[in-house]
Amino acid sequence: MTATVAYRSQRVAYGYFALALVLFALQVVVGLWIALQYVVTVPQAVVDVFPFSTARAMHTNLLVLWLLLGFMGATFYLVPEEAERELEWPRLAVVQLVVLAATGVTALVGFFFGWTQGRPLLEIPTSLDFVVVACALLFLANVGTTLVRARRWNAVQGTLLGGLVFLAGMYLFGMPFYRNLAVDWYYWWWVIHLWVEGAWELITAAIAAFLLIKLTGVERKVAERWLYVQLGLFLFTGIAGTGHHYYWLGAPKAWLWVGGVFSALEPFPILLMLWDTWRSAKAHQAAFRPRLTWVYVVGMAVLHFVGAGLFGFAHTLPQVNYYTHGSQVTVSHGHLAFYGAYVLLNLSFFYYAMPRLEGLPGGRYQERAGHWGFWLTSLGVVGMSLAFAVAGVLQTYLERVRGEPYMVAQQPMRFWMAVVFLHGLVVLAGVVTTVVHLLTLKPERVAAGVPAGVPAVRAAGSA
Amino acid sequence: MSDGLAKAIFWIGTLASLAVFLAMTVHTHRSFDALTHADALDERVVAGKRAFERHNCNDCHTILGFGAYYAPDLTRAYARLGEDAVRRRLESPETVFADSYRKMPQQHLAKGEIEDLVAFLRWVSGIDNHDWPPQDSPNRWKRSTERLLANASLSPAAALVRQENCLECHALGGAGGEQGPRFEWIGGRRDAEWVARYLADPGSVSKGSRMPAYPNLSEGQRLMIGEFVVSLAADRRAP
Repeated sequence: MTATVAYRSQRVAYGYFALALVLFALQVVVGLWIALQYVVTVPQAVVDVFPFSTARAMHTNLLVLWLLLGFMGATFYLVPEEAERELEWPRLAVVQLVVLAATGVTALVGFFFGWTQGRPLLEIPTSLDFVVVACALLFLANVGTTLVRARRWNAVQGTLLGGLVFLAGMYLFGMPFYRNLAVDWYYWWWVIHLWVEGAWELITAAIAAFLLIKLTGVERKVAERWLYVQLGLFLFTGIAGTGHHYYWLGAPKAWLWVGGVFSALEPFPILLMLWDTWRSAKAHQAAFRPRLTWVYVVGMAVLHFVGAGLFGFAHTLPQVNYYTHGSQVTVSHGHLAFYGAYVLLNLSFFYYAMPRLEGLPGGRYQERAGHWGFWLTSLGVVGMSLAFAVAGVLQTYLERVRGEPYMVAQQPMRFWMAVVFLHGLVVLAGVVTTVVHLLTLKPERVAAGVPAGVPAVRAAGSA
Repeated sequence: MSDGLAKAIFWIGTLASLAVFLAMTVHTHRSFDALTHADALDERVVAGKRAFERHNCNDCHTILGFGAYYAPDLTRAYARLGEDAVRRRLESPETVFADSYRKMPQQHLAKGEIEDLVAFLRWVSGIDNHDWPPQDSPNRWKRSTERLLANASLSPAAALVRQENCLECHALGGAGGEQGPRFEWIGGRRDAEWVARYLADPGSVSKGSRMPAYPNLSEGQRLMIGEFVVSLAADRRAP
């Protein structure tokens, strides 16, 4: 195949994307099994061998692994174009992918045999942590050297590199053993919160700015100015906003104020981003081709705002959080926010980069299945999050307000977990459609008389 | 907007938030010892935390509200269940949860591990975290304690509870022992008949229970105690 990408070394990204997609599908399959365990009684013999905890560790670690692989692939794709230079060590990028994949498989198999650090989302055993850190260092060295040698600094590169260093640095706080449980959770959030509302926001903002510049041809200066303002607001609310996790862990009461005030402001930068995306998506409609790109970019902005902004705000104030903390309300927010903010960002980038890596002219492809994939997955995740929310409100009222015992309160929630499961099936159908579509992109059919490069479905799609 | 203004927004926003965050981190570290009773954090508690992580307890249970939501929060499990019930859940979950629609895995814990976990949960239950979770808040217990004190002279069941020294092992409001489950917790899950049967012969109702039997009481007395205990369930006012 002949790639239409400008730099040969960009092609290392394809392997990252492909592996990420397979892991995404696997994550959803495990998720269905998890939801089912809330609905039916799993016999003791099965629970003894494959408990809920093991499946949950797999579900969350698969998520983190595939999103990070997506970010790394996107970085390898866009750095050569931004730096106007080949990657410093393309082979190293391939080695790093193989090592990361092996680490991931080892960790997943290890969970089955109880090999775990036993801390949610950071279950990977310490010895594997060191492999991950080594990979991160190789990755940063590779990207950093490429950018430094190119000497063509701009805001997109700076933000991306800053976000990646920030991400790797925060990972270190999750590695030591903490004697005090409260201190443990204090620094656990330095990894989790400062990733999703700090480092990952920097990375996604850089990737999104790159996409916007490439697709719409908007003047780089304008895009970069926006990037600075948005990131300033994201980090202003996000860093001290970590406090909304510190209300009930044995930390001083002042966190109720700091966490409450800063995190109440968190929806604003997301709203600004939604407005900005909508504006450029309207102004440059013709630039987002194939139309699926437009669907993804707008869908990402909307669901990012709903999932992270609105669903997050709903239970971020201490007065509300006292009753909702650690209930299915959190789960509802978590699913929609991760999907809207990070899953859709990754998929948007895959849909931009993969056709180009496969050498499809103009990055065009037959897009029908892709639309099915987007809508099935998105409607499935939205429906699932609403069902989680109903279960969460029930739990909050019955267990926290009325004071009924945990298992008594869980009983009426089972119906809503069944609704979650059914939506999970829709999500699985959507994800499989998307994954298969992305891995088997076909050049668009050229109708008689229509010159190559003009999409056949365009007229219907943009109506 | 000029480039300079955009950059200023970025740096001022980021650094201001970072400054607040780091100052609060220092403040938090200065407060942790007192709020978490660090003087009681001995090697046994640390060993319990290691066991807690080794068996991945946190990917089913929440603790301090963090973790997975598949099983009850453990922040106040020790205060709610009492030592004996915690131990039995760790030793033989397959019998304790035989009738439950959700199971806990049998992890074949060593005797020492169980004691470590009990010590860990005891320490966690003492963390001062602004009275979370609400369902285990002492604010709920006080009402039932008042009820007990108010009824003691009138209610024969309350008198029986005193006569048999139930509070030697069970907690009620701010008083009582930590061996058995707290009285307020029982009524949410069990009815009076169940409690009466349990009093007659605990071992036949729940295998491995360490509670003594009360054959000295009449069937009617046992049922009265049952009705009394069930009436103490936290906050069961009609909505």
